[in-house]
Amino acid sequence: MATASDRLRRARPLLGTFVEIAAAHAAPDLMEAAVEDAFDAIARVHRCMSFHDPASDVSHLNQHAAAGAVTVDPWTFEVLETAVELHRRSAGVFDIGVAPALQEAGLLPGPTCLRPPGSLATSADEPIELLPGKRVRFRDQRVAIDLGGIAKGFAVDRALDVLREHGLPQGLVNAGGDLAVFGAEPESVSVRHPLDPHQYVCHLQLAHEALASSGYCLDLCEPSGVARRAIIDPRTQRPPAAIAGVSVRASSCLMADALTKVVMIQGEDSAALLDHYHASALVVSMTGEIRVTPGWLGGQNLAA
Amino acid sequence: MTSWIPLAAPAALVSTIVPPAYAVQYLSIAQAQKQAFPSATSFAQVDARSWKAQSGGTVLGLVVVDHVIGKHLYIDYSVAIDPGGRIKRVDILQYRESYGGEVRDDSWIAQFVGKSSASALKVGQDIRNISGATLSSQHVTEGVKRVLAAYGNRVR
Repeated sequence: MATASDRLRRARPLLGTFVEIAAAHAAPDLMEAAVEDAFDAIARVHRCMSFHDPASDVSHLNQHAAAGAVTVDPWTFEVLETAVELHRRSAGVFDIGVAPALQEAGLLPGPTCLRPPGSLATSADEPIELLPGKRVRFRDQRVAIDLGGIAKGFAVDRALDVLREHGLPQGLVNAGGDLAVFGAEPESVSVRHPLDPHQYVCHLQLAHEALASSGYCLDLCEPSGVARRAIIDPRTQRPPAAIAGVSVRASSCLMADALTKVVMIQGEDSAALLDHYHASALVVSMTGEIRVTPGWLGGQNLAA
Repeated sequence: MTSWIPLAAPAALVSTIVPPAYAVQYLSIAQAQKQAFPSATSFAQVDARSWKAQSGGTVLGLVVVDHVIGKHLYIDYSVAIDPGGRIKRVDILQYRESYGGEVRDDSWIAQFVGKSSASALKVGQDIRNISGATLSSQHVTEGVKRVLAAYGNRVR
């Protein structure tokens, strides 16, 4: 058991939530420096991928990428690569191009619907072209992207990398319930019931693993609470109706975060995609039924 | 192909698990001062909630400590302001909630760093406004804005 001085925990408001970074079992100076650099990594993701900041890559892309290729930060490019792959593998269910629907629903600010109803998923071609030299072009001027469904997980992964690179033996990064851990000591995490914040669905021990949660009204993961989530089913342009909340365990927080959106929309039909990414999930229906994939119960994912 | 398993969660068991009140002390005021201005040799108290960071005769900036109501209870935070009246950093000092932790929000709060009191920092403009949800991270954003308005031109 570590002593109090053997641990360090800091929190800052970033990414539209409170980001908590914790470290343990190292010299205080080393932990302070590592946590500081880890917050810098989160801030870099925030700067690159904010929908709201007019100087972000996302804003540049939304304004200019239909007219010609735009060069982006390597991290933005990496997130877009994953988003495009998931869009393909999920048959269009994972869609970063739902920004216009979110705007129309009042969940994102900005101009009203930039394109008529109907999803990019119906188009035969991937609407986002990824080109050599970290350049990105949109095939259609109606495309507007929002990385809110994936960038928070990516930020957690990058911050955790920084802690590792500093040589820390134990670390945790939690961006409002999207979290990842490394180190010998497992972290206890409680998953809140999406229909009643006073109850937990289950308790987990996480080690070298990520967990992300999404909910219709509530957020599932401790520490987190109530918020209406901005998830749109690209097929209907409306929020999903049958599922109250989802948690996904995966080896990366990027993938856990992104897959919660697919499972929220697809429910049990998402099993094959979860398998592909060696991820496991817990689903709570609006009627309160709880279902999990076998990997969730085992506490171990199949990923090597 | 994975098959889904109903999770046996007996109602009695679930209902007995009542999340306790939640409180985390992240930083003391002195720690927050030192972290924001590591090269400062002194922190001279200006008023009940602000300190001037100094190194020799040079003013490095101001640290203001404030609290906002979270979902139910107070969140203490500090704002470090540079001599130009811009936010250097925002730290959460203490976090308390009556159940669970913070309210989470899928939106992206405007970057605090580099914001001056002339910046808009408005909900729904810089910050995504999610209707119907009380967002404690939003309360901090609003608090930071008030702190900046009150102290942004008082650093020198």
